[in-house]
Amino acid sequence: MRFLANREKRSFLIQLVLAVILIAISFIIVQNVRDNLAAVGIRIDFGFLSGEAGFDVNESLIAYSASDSYARVLLVGLLNTLQLSIVCIVAATLIGVVMGIIRAGNNWLGTRLALAYVELLRNLPKLLILLAVFIIMVNRLPVVRKAWNLFDGIYISNRAFYFPTLIWTDRMSFVLVALFIWLVAAIFWTRHVHYHQDLSGKRLPVGWPMIGSLLAMLLLVSGLFNISYHFSTPILKGFDFVGGGRLSVQFVALAITLSIYHGGQITELVRGGIQSVSKSQLEAADALGLRSGQITRLVVLPQALRMIIPPLGNQYLNLIKNTSIALAIGYSDLVSVMSTSINQTFRPIELMSITMMTYLAISLVVTALLNWFNARTKIVGN
Amino acid sequence: METNKQKDLVMPPRSEIGVIHWLRKNLFNTPFDSVVTICVVMFLLWIVPAIVSWMFIDAVGFGGDEALCRSARGACWPFMREKARLILFGTYPYDQQWRAALASLIVIGLVGTFILKRLKVVWMILLWVVGGALFVGLMLGSVMGLSTVQTVQWNGLPVFLLLAVFSLAAAFPLGIILALARFQNQHLLIRSLATGYIELIRGIPLLTVLFMGLFVLPMIMPQGFYLEPLFAILIALLMFHAAYIAEDIRGGLQILSKGQFEAADSLGLNYRYKVVLVVLPQALKKALPAIFNTLIGAYKDTSLVVIVGIHDMLSTAKMAYSDPGWQKYGLEAYVFVGIWYFASCWCLSAYGRHLERKKTY
Repeated sequence: MRFLANREKRSFLIQLVLAVILIAISFIIVQNVRDNLAAVGIRIDFGFLSGEAGFDVNESLIAYSASDSYARVLLVGLLNTLQLSIVCIVAATLIGVVMGIIRAGNNWLGTRLALAYVELLRNLPKLLILLAVFIIMVNRLPVVRKAWNLFDGIYISNRAFYFPTLIWTDRMSFVLVALFIWLVAAIFWTRHVHYHQDLSGKRLPVGWPMIGSLLAMLLLVSGLFNISYHFSTPILKGFDFVGGGRLSVQFVALAITLSIYHGGQITELVRGGIQSVSKSQLEAADALGLRSGQITRLVVLPQALRMIIPPLGNQYLNLIKNTSIALAIGYSDLVSVMSTSINQTFRPIELMSITMMTYLAISLVVTALLNWFNARTKIVGN
Repeated sequence: METNKQKDLVMPPRSEIGVIHWLRKNLFNTPFDSVVTICVVMFLLWIVPAIVSWMFIDAVGFGGDEALCRSARGACWPFMREKARLILFGTYPYDQQWRAALASLIVIGLVGTFILKRLKVVWMILLWVVGGALFVGLMLGSVMGLSTVQTVQWNGLPVFLLLAVFSLAAAFPLGIILALARFQNQHLLIRSLATGYIELIRGIPLLTVLFMGLFVLPMIMPQGFYLEPLFAILIALLMFHAAYIAEDIRGGLQILSKGQFEAADSLGLNYRYKVVLVVLPQALKKALPAIFNTLIGAYKDTSLVVIVGIHDMLSTAKMAYSDPGWQKYGLEAYVFVGIWYFASCWCLSAYGRHLERKKTY
């Protein structure tokens, strides 16, 4: 009993017992899984990944047909998930920042509308919103043959949205190189402008040199290498459109739902961040003679940003995970593809572990990016 | 004298009083405000007439019938009258639906007593166990002369309440244990296990956890042991929510001042008393806003179970508008479910705000 009176020894004993129990449980689990699988006559084996998937997806960023392998269809799903996530992150951030600024502002109408928006989305499940948006789109939008023609070459139907795309030629890689060079130059120029402002207090122009040089560069490169730009426009042939690009109505419904759903949550974060900036900062900015737009841009947002970024990162992670509700309306994201594959192969353990590892990897990458960004925007203290 | 005074009295300039001033101050103060006001007004002019005409002007009132709906452009409210029971209780045997209603009331009553009455932990656990047993007994039947209703026929509101309320009620104690396990640094093995579990669960979508419950959980059970999908999903939900609740509580533990722990130690309290009497009450109080956020999110996310084939209210709503003749009225069905969610979430968050304001228990 004196042995147990020693804290470290007791701690060691507790953990030893726990470890033994855990090992025993995992042993039983492994045994059970083996028995259960043996009963159906299969073994854990990732070989099926190279087998033919045999089912179609409604949208793919890379070439895919039903005769491709399971590995490829999982990749298609992953790319769809990433595409959806990126579109939603950008849109939700824009909505959230604009609505957050309005919500924290003094506009009588604006604050009330923003409040109604936040409260409505706070109290409704995202799946319900998704299904409602989807059903409105399917019921209210015209069928493909009667698609609305928006501007030139953009068609909206209840199956998909069609739009013109640029026809890629090999020479266009020069344009990409030029754009890259322009981007690097632009970064250096903004740095120089900051440096110059710190030294002299004068601010060199940023906006028009950038746009001007971009246009000049594009014209120059296009002329020099004789590049002409052709667009492929969607044309109605029979029951569907041919040519151009298309976004399925599922994708659009998901993008709208997740953007407004997470936009509402980001609105609250932005409002909290803005209201955490002390009032004397505003008064000081006012006293310096800054205009209201400048106060928001130069004084309030940079300080609010430090409050906002950590929870915003969590929002992004949640958003990426929430794209999995795509399964409910049949958009081929990673989880949806996984679910179909499980039904076909009955290999839940293999497929689930692949999916979970993928999501964990995405989470880790996003977390690392956020930490890097967070460290950069921290106040440089002494 | 009087007239003289009035002469001296200078009224504020026209721009500082009245409607014009109010408009300028509240709607057109800055250029950005003006833009916002114009956009909001345009948005309202578009959305309000659209909603009003859909809900009232073009709609068929509750007294109408399906034939009237077919020619109307707006909402079809007779759909709700016809289908409300289907959405609430689904395919539960029609003449037995009072059992489903009573079972739902029991769950709501459990939540109500939890909110209104402070009971001792022992009594609380007892109450929940009895309530859960009553729920299952009522729904499943084959006791007290009730006919048996298989779980596949359980639909709608009772299923939703079972999953949402019981998973969260069970996730809470598990979350506390996980948070405490992760917060200490005496037992490193326990801490790393808790950390690993929490981070794993938080890194993956709820849907994959639900799939785990559906496909993998039965596999790790001994052979011949059949796990009802409904209960497999319940376990999956509670394991998922526990990780999030644990992180909220850990947040509360972290901002607790170190002096509290040292004071409890110097009083000679052992670990159990230290945690139960000193640490947890304060940490939970500090974590309250975060916990309520998680609770509401988890409550809403319970609706995801429909994707893995559990028939909660979103599923029965779909059943309702899959019925031939009523297929155009999906939106009405979702409005019906939306009202339930909005009302219940609003009550939850109102209760959360009330607790925060109260600050003492």
